[in-house]
Amino acid sequence: MLRLLKVSGDSLSPVLKNGDFVLIAKIPLLFKFLQRGDMVVFHHNIHGTMIKQVEEISITGESIMVSGFNQYSVDSAQFGSISKEAIIGKVIWHIKRPDST
Amino acid sequence: MIHEFVTKLDQTIGLETAKAHCDIPCGIYDPIVAQINALTVVRMIDLMRELAEKDAEKGPEFYNSMARYVAVKEEHAEKAKHEVRVIWGDYIKPAHLEKYPELHKLVHDIMQMGSASRQTADRVTAVNFVEAINKFAEIFWDTKGVATKRAKAPYAPALEMVYPDL
Repeated sequence: MLRLLKVSGDSLSPVLKNGDFVLIAKIPLLFKFLQRGDMVVFHHNIHGTMIKQVEEISITGESIMVSGFNQYSVDSAQFGSISKEAIIGKVIWHIKRPDST
Repeated sequence: MIHEFVTKLDQTIGLETAKAHCDIPCGIYDPIVAQINALTVVRMIDLMRELAEKDAEKGPEFYNSMARYVAVKEEHAEKAKHEVRVIWGDYIKPAHLEKYPELHKLVHDIMQMGSASRQTADRVTAVNFVEAINKFAEIFWDTKGVATKRAKAPYAPALEMVYPDL
């Protein structure tokens, strides 16, 4: 249902920074309410477990484009859309590093 | 406070990581991380020698401290190697290699010296490790058109380090 993960990397900075923690909800029902701007954790065959922002959801809801906040982000611009089955969960709580502003 | 608690939890059970990575890690590369790690290796060797000289009885405290120094030496030698590999593998491009044909050999030497610094407590090897990474840093900053300067590190073992002259 719920899962706690550590964020690695700064492609989602300044919202999520390297070393922050996120609590994600794995409840399938929540996927129905997935919308643009949500932070999602998903599995990618090459990159493993990733976290990005939802950029776009297809009309059928089967595929999702994800992105980061900077030009160097490894995201759908490089590897294309991800399937909804690849989604592990949606970020519902963010624990910032104490030194984060 | 919550972050501190979760960090301890992470250290205890090892939480899974969600990568928010960049292909060029946000364009941020700096050999200083490798340099400081290599410097730490020399510092640990110095501490190991000091401990061996002053504690002749070699009781539990001796073994505890010595084990910790060795562990830190191992860890930082490997970290230094890792940092150099990342810059070499991700940042260095064919054009850089044309300009600095010695770079491949230098990186290979650094890998060998890093391993030797783990395998032994030889200070000369560790100092050479630091110096080889200094040379790597000079090349790195030159690729960016940034001049460098050499200065003694402001902490023990106060070896000469290469810094960007900004």
